[in-house]
Amino acid sequence: MSTQNKVKINKLPTGVSGLDEIVGGGLPEYSFNIIAGAPGSGKTTLAHQFVFANATSERPALYFTVLGESAIKMLRYQQQYTFFDPAKLPGSIRFINLSQVVLEKDLGAVLEQITREVEKANPAVVVVDSFRTMVRRPESEMDLQSFIQRLALFLASWQATTFLIGEYAEEELRDNPIFTVADGLFWLRQTAERNSIVRKLQIIKLRGQDSVPGLHTFRITDAGVQAFSRTFGLSGHAKNPPSHRRLSFGIAELDNMLGGGVREGDSVLIAGSSGTGKSVLATQFIADGIRQGEPGIVAVFEERPQAYAERAASLGLDLETPQKDGKLEILYLRPLDLSVDETMHSILDAVQKIGAKRLVIDSLAGFEMALSPGFRADFRESLYRMIFALTGIGVTILSTVEVDESFTEFPFSTYSISFLTDDIIRLRYVSIDGQLRKIMVVIKMRGGNHAKDIREYEITSNGVVILGKRLINYQGLISGIPVRLEKHESIGESSPDTGGA
Amino acid sequence: MTASPHMRDLARRLLTYEAGAGKTCEPIEFPTLRVYEKLRKGLGEFAGVAGFQSLASRALVLAKTEAPSLSTVRIAADGALQGFEQGVDNSECSIEGDKDKAAEHPVSERGVILISRLFGLLLIFLGEALTLSLLRITWPGAALDDCNSENGRKA
Repeated sequence: MSTQNKVKINKLPTGVSGLDEIVGGGLPEYSFNIIAGAPGSGKTTLAHQFVFANATSERPALYFTVLGESAIKMLRYQQQYTFFDPAKLPGSIRFINLSQVVLEKDLGAVLEQITREVEKANPAVVVVDSFRTMVRRPESEMDLQSFIQRLALFLASWQATTFLIGEYAEEELRDNPIFTVADGLFWLRQTAERNSIVRKLQIIKLRGQDSVPGLHTFRITDAGVQAFSRTFGLSGHAKNPPSHRRLSFGIAELDNMLGGGVREGDSVLIAGSSGTGKSVLATQFIADGIRQGEPGIVAVFEERPQAYAERAASLGLDLETPQKDGKLEILYLRPLDLSVDETMHSILDAVQKIGAKRLVIDSLAGFEMALSPGFRADFRESLYRMIFALTGIGVTILSTVEVDESFTEFPFSTYSISFLTDDIIRLRYVSIDGQLRKIMVVIKMRGGNHAKDIREYEITSNGVVILGKRLINYQGLISGIPVRLEKHESIGESSPDTGGA
Repeated sequence: MTASPHMRDLARRLLTYEAGAGKTCEPIEFPTLRVYEKLRKGLGEFAGVAGFQSLASRALVLAKTEAPSLSTVRIAADGALQGFEQGVDNSECSIEGDKDKAAEHPVSERGVILISRLFGLLLIFLGEALTLSLLRITWPGAALDDCNSENGRKA
């Protein structure tokens, strides 16, 4: 059968930010879906968003309420969401209460009433909230499975896209014949992890469409349910071809150490202990990008944007003007139950908004602290997904990480994430001539040569300034307690081509 | 505490509208009964019989504090209004400022009180926009938020 002869399934907007991406572009028209989950997990809100996104006066939505939340109270609360448009009620969206039929009659009578209303209204969308409450009546003449089957058949024939909402516990998911009838099964979870609430959404099945597998975090805000795809909404984006362009820090000596600068699309890690100038370097990287006409984003977790901009100003770097000009966004991301996916969503929004080419994450430690405890366990994996997704669209990422200063080791980071980064710059303190001074070394440049020099630097009112030539008069600089060599001799600066010392 | 003037005005418009639709010789309680029945049908559809019954019962309790003649009135289990047409006190119609309106299409003042209390509850629970949306469907020809109305009808 050729592609031309195949039936085309229309995809309806879910009305839920991020969910269209997760379900593979939209919800299949005329599909019969179940939204399951524990009380308070957002089932009704999700259904309402779909209803408000799709109901029209020509093809309205019928929202059947059964036992459970009072319809008046439901409308009272639901209208607090921004998607709720009172003008759509009751012309485009009709709420019909079935409690009396359920209480006084059986499931056959419920089906009869639904049938009657559907035939009368010719709806595009039908919701039954909550169908589970109908099952708990042991005297029901028709068992639930038969009811669901007949309802599914009828509503599909009447060209309605349907949602049944039900309270289900995790263990009820297995071997439940009711779920076999459904075309789509949306599972909403809400768990408490230490002091944080984590909400996750899973598309357990969705016939006829390639949905994104796995658990996706979601949040309920004033705008309703907001879902965050594990693929960060980038699954459909073409990867940018590798660039050979080098990006400058605005520090000639450092660019030279990096073989001409950071390769565009790389992930750079600046590691060092507190006060070594990681944030200063990061700010200089962003500021130079703006000078070159490359918009940038700084995601800060440990200080507020205003404080960040003020600190930059003290280094002679103006971050206020580019913010006003739409060339720079400083994102302050610090709700304590954040997920990486949400962070990514904010960053991606900003990337798209200003066409950012450079991103600074300052710092990974702050980022980790902002995450819900449950997400911290997956921090490495999350970082991998995030860095892969962002560099894939051509954004150059510079992350800072604080490492414990040790005088016996030379760690690159505390997260074992070195493999995630293309380039690593290590900053550290050394004790020289009775002073605590600072040294810098490029540890790694994936796909490019770099200087092996250990250079001393200072943080001045102009930012990081690399001093003189490489330090050749000391042995064991990276230990932090170098030993002065007997013979004082300056060899001169090495270049990446020669490999240096 | 009495029903708000805004709710009273809204209730009066609907009762006047219904009075205009009825026979001229009908008792002044009839428009209230028609308005109530339409509300019972319309609100009962989405709130359910029990939902409407509880809302109406609360409205009646509140209304009784303003109109003692409603003391014999009750709300049945199915939400129907019972005993409203009995114990009418016509003096309740003669409130200052309402005489002209009452002369054109006389409406029961205790009906205004009861219906305005019901609207007041809807306003509290659903808000003005949604309440008016629901009422507009039941009374598409009535002027619900338009001051330039005539006998409750759109001008």
